Amino acid sequence: MSDLYSYLLVAAIVFTIGAYGIITQRSGIKILMSIELMLNAANINLVAFSSFNGDTAGQVFALFSIAIAAAEAAIGFAILVVLFRVRDTINLDNINILRW
Amino acid sequence: MFSEIAALIVLLPVLAFILTLFLGKRLYSGGALLPIAAIAGSFIISLGVFFEIYPDKTVQQSWPWFAGMNLGILIDPLAIVMLLMVTFVSLLIHIYAVGYMAHDPAKPRYFAETSLFTAAMLGVVLSDNILQFFIAWELVGLCSYLLIGFWYFKPSAAAAAKKAFLVTRVGDVLFLAGIILLYFNISDVISSRAFSLDQGNFILQFRSMFEAAKFIDPSQLTLITLLFFGGAVGKSGQFPLHGWLPDAMEGPTTVSALIHAATMVTAGVYLVARTFPMFAATPVTIAPELHIPDSLLIVAIIGGFTALFAATMGLVMNDIKRVLAYSTVSQLGYMMLALGTAGAIVGAKAVGISLFHLISHAFFKALLFLCAGSVIHAMGTNDIREMGGLSRKMKITATTMLIAALALAGIGIPYLNIGTAGFFSKDAIIEGTFELGMETGGWGWIFYGFAIVAALLTSIYIFRLWFMTFTGTPRSERHPHESPNVMTRPLIILAIFALLFGFMQSGFYLYLEKNFELMGVEIASHESEEALVLPPIVVLMPVIVGVVGFLISYYIYHLKKLNMSRFVSSGNPLYRLLINRYYEPRISADIIGVKLTHNIAAQSGEFVDRKIIDTLIIDNAISNTLFRLGELVRKLQTGVVQNYASVTLLGIFLLVVLLKLTGGI
Repeated sequence: MSDLYSYLLVAAIVFTIGAYGIITQRSGIKILMSIELMLNAANINLVAFSSFNGDTAGQVFALFSIAIAAAEAAIGFAILVVLFRVRDTINLDNINILRW
Repeated sequence: MFSEIAALIVLLPVLAFILTLFLGKRLYSGGALLPIAAIAGSFIISLGVFFEIYPDKTVQQSWPWFAGMNLGILIDPLAIVMLLMVTFVSLLIHIYAVGYMAHDPAKPRYFAETSLFTAAMLGVVLSDNILQFFIAWELVGLCSYLLIGFWYFKPSAAAAAKKAFLVTRVGDVLFLAGIILLYFNISDVISSRAFSLDQGNFILQFRSMFEAAKFIDPSQLTLITLLFFGGAVGKSGQFPLHGWLPDAMEGPTTVSALIHAATMVTAGVYLVARTFPMFAATPVTIAPELHIPDSLLIVAIIGGFTALFAATMGLVMNDIKRVLAYSTVSQLGYMMLALGTAGAIVGAKAVGISLFHLISHAFFKALLFLCAGSVIHAMGTNDIREMGGLSRKMKITATTMLIAALALAGIGIPYLNIGTAGFFSKDAIIEGTFELGMETGGWGWIFYGFAIVAALLTSIYIFRLWFMTFTGTPRSERHPHESPNVMTRPLIILAIFALLFGFMQSGFYLYLEKNFELMGVEIASHESEEALVLPPIVVLMPVIVGVVGFLISYYIYHLKKLNMSRFVSSGNPLYRLLINRYYEPRISADIIGVKLTHNIAAQSGEFVDRKIIDTLIIDNAISNTLFRLGELVRKLQTGVVQNYASVTLLGIFLLVVLLKLTGGI
């Protein structure tokens, strides 16, 4: 029982770090990294519950989630590279033409 | 052995489509070999399946899909003859295209699309249920759009593609409505316990449809079959949805050959043949004295009228491919006519008669188009007024095209039973209409009239085409040359089939007659017991009109004994009517498109918007309020990612708190 709690605690901490990163950071790369942290926090939860319930479905799901996260990161970084070529910056504060 | 892998018949061309699309650029001749190999594979498998199931077996494989429906393949006599024809003709056209498209830069796209086109048609043929049939049918429509607009940089090609897509869409919507109506009706008879599905049968399978048809309300059945026929009218270019087929000539000639012979327009006839037991089960109310079930009567009338109507336009066209296009429309009319009229008398045999014409037509029409392609390839123009005297330069093309023309005109020797493919297949249809006339008299004769006059016109326009193209003196300064071997060999093979296919007639009828019995469906035959002995004049009539047509063309276009300038002038109202195609393009574009749809719909829409909504509520109150609201809310969109993230997190936090307070978690 206490095992599960410690895993969940770790996950919650990682998640919070990620959320904090997204809100405070300006560099696109750092924000993407923070998103990865949040995703992995969710994965930790999945695996923890899966192990706790003795049901492998959660672990399979986590694997899927990792694969998708990899794809998402690839696209995210590709976008940042293109952005950098066009705007010479990846500071998201300066990339705000899509607004009122 | 082949039956187990029957699904590969359709999967191989799909695979070729994917590979050619992505790898074609790096392969020889734009990857033409992939589709050729795939379709050859499909042909071999079809042949293997044919020998396994002949003479009285079927192949049936089904997999459950959703909501009581299934995916599956059904190969019965009807399907296997179509499979053999489609794969064989498509294979020859693909080989021919290697030569014909040799100079086109977009070969990979061409071969990928034709491969998908063939796959879609094979999907139509193989389907064992109407839903899958419809899906493949739509795919055929999509491919035709892509291929007709293959040279999309030509505005006329782009417009023709759009027209083909939109006009067939009208039919497709009707077809879909028919499927939905059928589904509800079958569900009804199942829930009222009048009918139950056997173990392993699915709701929209053809087998279940035919069994359930007995329990469906007859008027509903008529409506369903007529909606199906609406789909067939669109796909097979029957009146009044025929306009797209001649315009579809904007694509490469090989595409026209595919559309007209193998892969598209025959789908409509196949649909009616496939669901023939339902058509035959509709009640006889419109014309009791003709004994024709209502839906089949409509099929016969539309088909017969189209056969004649399209042939008249074929007489005056100057574009070599347009003449052939109208010829296709006309011949498809014959096939529909056969289904409608013969269906009333000989029952299930009608499918054999119609399909026999479909397949012999596929051979000689593919041949005609490929010959036309060969001519266009050599001359660089479509206009037969600029051709002439080509037979000296292009011997193979001229000979094979003459064979095709003879087959189309149905030339042969009656009583000895020697003749071209068209002689056997068209004769059977015309004799069927004659028998109907004999049995019923009166209005029953109208179908015979349609058929015989259309046959005369067919013969005139096709020999006009041949004489103007290949005989006489050249009418323009060009240097034509015979096409390369890769193009002439398919012509020769098709010519052999156009000559000899007719001799398979009796075996073909016997084989197809059993088609619906194998499914356990009986179709009543009203054939009188004693064999009807046809008077000699009737037996000879189709050939007589064929020869007369030949002679008329010979007299006018070869000997040039008759000065046609009085007829062929814009002063002649009849000629004006024909050359303008009965003003069909103008009617569909100007009246239906602009006047009806645009003017009425758009203007009434504007009236409602401007005059009622804006003025009824005082002084644009609604829009002004919305504008002000928008001004307020848009400030929230700052464009700063961090703000969005914070708001999202805040929202989730509030949600959790709310759930906690209300006891949700």
